[in-house]
Amino acid sequence: MSAHTQEQIVKDLGNLLREFNGKEYSGDIGSKTLFFGDLGLVSIDAVILAETLERFYDCGFPFGQFLSEIEREGVRDIELGELAAFLHRHMIRSGVDA
Amino acid sequence: MPLIDLDGLRIHYQQKGRGEDVVLLHAVTGNLSIWLFSNLMGVLAEEFRVTAFDLRGHGASDVPASGYTSADMVEDLRRLHAALRLGPALLVGHSFGAVVAVHAAVLYPDMVRGLILSDPYFPGLAHLEPNLADAEMWREVREALVDAGAELDEEVDFTRLFQIVAALSPSQLTRLRETMRPSSMRWLSQLPRLAATTCGHDVFLPVGLTAERICQVRQPLVALYDEHTSFSATRRFLAANLPGAQMEIVPGAKHVAPLQNPGAFTALVQKHLRAMARANGHPCSSTTPGSIIS
Repeated sequence: MSAHTQEQIVKDLGNLLREFNGKEYSGDIGSKTLFFGDLGLVSIDAVILAETLERFYDCGFPFGQFLSEIEREGVRDIELGELAAFLHRHMIRSGVDA
Repeated sequence: MPLIDLDGLRIHYQQKGRGEDVVLLHAVTGNLSIWLFSNLMGVLAEEFRVTAFDLRGHGASDVPASGYTSADMVEDLRRLHAALRLGPALLVGHSFGAVVAVHAAVLYPDMVRGLILSDPYFPGLAHLEPNLADAEMWREVREALVDAGAELDEEVDFTRLFQIVAALSPSQLTRLRETMRPSSMRWLSQLPRLAATTCGHDVFLPVGLTAERICQVRQPLVALYDEHTSFSATRRFLAANLPGAQMEIVPGAKHVAPLQNPGAFTALVQKHLRAMARANGHPCSSTTPGSIIS
């Protein structure tokens, strides 16, 4: 399998979220797309996306750390680019791309 | 998405870690994401087998039209506990989740080894809290909705709240996004699915969990009350009537300690779960799940 670049992860997220958990999104999806504001997703969707991504990449991610940092900092939304960067960092650390 | 079929009701759950069983119960109108956004599940899974699930009508679980009392929720918990073949569990409940935990301890004492409650209000102790409408979280959401042009009475009425939120226009939602915190907006967005259910009515019914029954709890119990709780009379009642109960304060929090002070909340939960596990001899449990759908 080729290495998961951050750019590829954003594309993967776009493909997964185009039609996700009963919600469809017809606009462009890129690194600046907002998880809640643009895609109209809700908190439980974050849980389901976490489950989906762990299966998709066959890798466990510390989503709790990522989401709790967002919560602590009072960030209003999650850019897909931020999520992709978190996934990419963790995949490198855990050797998924080695 | 892991779903388990409990006699025709599909319940979404997550399970992580190994060790003594811990079950996390979220509040009414919440979902299990609170344990992810607070990172409690990740931290506890390093030393316990942690199971979190979406109560019926919440998160990714099915939404039946009725059956939302704490007694109904206890039956769901009992079936989930059996289907996942959990051992006697330490229950951590937030708000209404804590009511479910106490009700489970009373109805099925063999299923519950210990309890950690976060800022609960008990319908069976409603007489102690006559000014529920003054509770800060109700006043805040009501003011935000009224500011956005919705009509919501001062009296606490969850059914009406669910119906109003379900009927909000796009411009009203935009206005709310400007005034409410992100976590509050995430919370609000889940309410419409409950508008056609009896949830708003049912959760305020004592259904047998009276003051006398609450006083019958014999399991180790820790009550974590938020520094700015609206339920001080309930806290005093528990302290006075459950002699073995330990009381703690979560600094800075006002009803949603897992998100408002996750560091302190997690440290307290971890400390007390460890103490309960030590007292229990810390047995390990089977990890074989029940009838998982997907």
